[in-house]
Amino acid sequence: MDETQQRLANCFQVVFPDLTPDAIPNASTAKVAAWDFVAALTLMNVVEEEFGLQMDLDDLTHLDSFENLYSYLRKRLQAA
Amino acid sequence: MTITEALKIAQSAPRGARSFAVTLACGFTPLHLQTFLAAHLQQALPDRKVAISSGLYGNLAGTLEAISDAALPDGLVIVLEWADLDARLDYRSAGAWSLSAEDDIVASARAVLERIAAALVRIPSGPRVALALPTLPLPPLFHTPGWQASAQQMLLQSDVTRLAAELAQDGRVAIIDMQRLAEESPAAERLDLKGDLYTGLPYSVQHADKLASPLARALVPPAPKKGVITDLDDTLWSGIAGEVGPDAVTWDLASHTHLHALYQKLLASLAECGTLIAVASKNDPAVVEIAFQRKDLLLHPRQVFPIEVHWQAKSGSVSRILETWNIAADSVIFVDDSPMELAEVAAAHPAIECVLFPKDDYNACLRMLRHLRERCGKERVSTDDAVRLDSIRQSAVFREQASSGAAPESFLQQVGAVVTFDFAAGDQPRVLELVNKTNQFNLNGRRYTEADWRKLLAASGTVLVAVSYEDKFGPLGTIAVAAGDLREQILWVETWVMSCRAFARRIEHQTLKVLFETTDAREIAFDFTPTAKNGPLRDFFASLLGEEPQSQFRLTRSQFDATCPALYHEVREMRRAEAHG
Repeated sequence: MDETQQRLANCFQVVFPDLTPDAIPNASTAKVAAWDFVAALTLMNVVEEEFGLQMDLDDLTHLDSFENLYSYLRKRLQAA
Repeated sequence: MTITEALKIAQSAPRGARSFAVTLACGFTPLHLQTFLAAHLQQALPDRKVAISSGLYGNLAGTLEAISDAALPDGLVIVLEWADLDARLDYRSAGAWSLSAEDDIVASARAVLERIAAALVRIPSGPRVALALPTLPLPPLFHTPGWQASAQQMLLQSDVTRLAAELAQDGRVAIIDMQRLAEESPAAERLDLKGDLYTGLPYSVQHADKLASPLARALVPPAPKKGVITDLDDTLWSGIAGEVGPDAVTWDLASHTHLHALYQKLLASLAECGTLIAVASKNDPAVVEIAFQRKDLLLHPRQVFPIEVHWQAKSGSVSRILETWNIAADSVIFVDDSPMELAEVAAAHPAIECVLFPKDDYNACLRMLRHLRERCGKERVSTDDAVRLDSIRQSAVFREQASSGAAPESFLQQVGAVVTFDFAAGDQPRVLELVNKTNQFNLNGRRYTEADWRKLLAASGTVLVAVSYEDKFGPLGTIAVAAGDLREQILWVETWVMSCRAFARRIEHQTLKVLFETTDAREIAFDFTPTAKNGPLRDFFASLLGEEPQSQFRLTRSQFDATCPALYHEVREMRRAEAHG
């Protein structure tokens, strides 16, 4: 895991405390029952706080897995 | 607080902790508000597991109506927004913003408020209730230009305020101070319109946090400070009395020293509500005595005790005041205009809260006055609050005479002590207050929320007694509480506290005697836990048992009779038949 992945994993751990560290990189809305709309909003806010950026609610539907969130973050961080 | 921090705090409850159930009644998606509320409550109740359930989306009144005796929460939080009163006030609604709708909105809002009031009346007493009035801006639907309020807006606001005033008067509901909230959470930064329209989540993250904080405090109020120790020169009044003379120190508008008058008024008001006020001043006692005779003082000298005036270190004065009051330093605020004196006291008493009197900074002074009210303010003022200082003054005389004059035995015989046992006082606020703030003579240090307390009172077999005391020196008010339940001739005592003001009068012996006699118990089983502060109770138990107990134990009637000293009180019992049916 690179640093961004690790920080993102920490965000997942806060929002989904029942998720084991091994399961986090493969987490998605399809695999994690607790990942509902409310959890998605919370995760978005926690990621915003961790990475110091503002995310758009319009992006929410695409950010449906650890992998997609990681890709999104890499782009945002590179652009910054 | 960030959401990440809030989530971590909310998850920090100990495993297996007892639940503290809260119903959050609001008409919108409470997501962040719920997260922050859980975190603030968890911080206030670290030994409990806070569990918040929210009601039906868009149906605040229905959520309240659904609360029943069967599933009564420990706390109820109501967060009212304009959208709850009429759908046309909801940004998410497609209802027309027409001129003809304005009066109808007022009428339908009034009907919803009446429904909410009726639902609140039906909720059984027990849970604490916190209410926040609308915090979001009304949509721009009224016909007047934005800088002018329409009659309909004013009617809406007055109807909401009237409901809140009625609930506040009733005493069952704690209303959040919206003016104060506006300082913490500016009006323009509260609404997240995109969040509202996309997700039904109208609050900005910051606003959710700022609103959750007072809501949590309303449900689980922090213990108020018990006393304020104040300096005199350039603090209680302007000027150095020893230099300009006691008649020349000032606290008035003409001298531009009215800040000191405000401070005096605040201290007088706090004293009236039962906060202890004392003086620690480096000064000439004779000069201060003359100053305290001035008729224009706004803090009456009888509201101040003790007065420590000399040229020695103030930390020593504070020690003696704490000893006289018999309370811990962490329950007290020390106010002085000198940073050096504050530092000297803080070094000797690290737990005391030291507050600078900012005599030359008007805004800072106002902040300080508000801070004192915040730390010492009380939700309710009891009759015991009114007699507290007198009773401490009388206790000091009692101790002085008991130790210096006649032998303790004959002294106790001639004080004319009357101990009153009230068996139906469990619902009096003073009783729970005493249980929750007493440390030294406390069976186990256990604290109760109002809901916990009501559950204990409602349980069958519960025996509760509140003890008051008076003697020739005056009344001490309600000074002890014991509660437990009687099963098979054993009284299981879960709670027993006694104010430190009542020590050395054998009231604890009389309490056990009365409990044995009135319940006909063979044994009393004490749910005792040693704490860092309950040494005086441990010593008392050791005098009965011959050794200090380390945990729960039982005391037989014969053990008690063999060790109980002579008791000289006149004993009065109240409402025993009422309590025991």
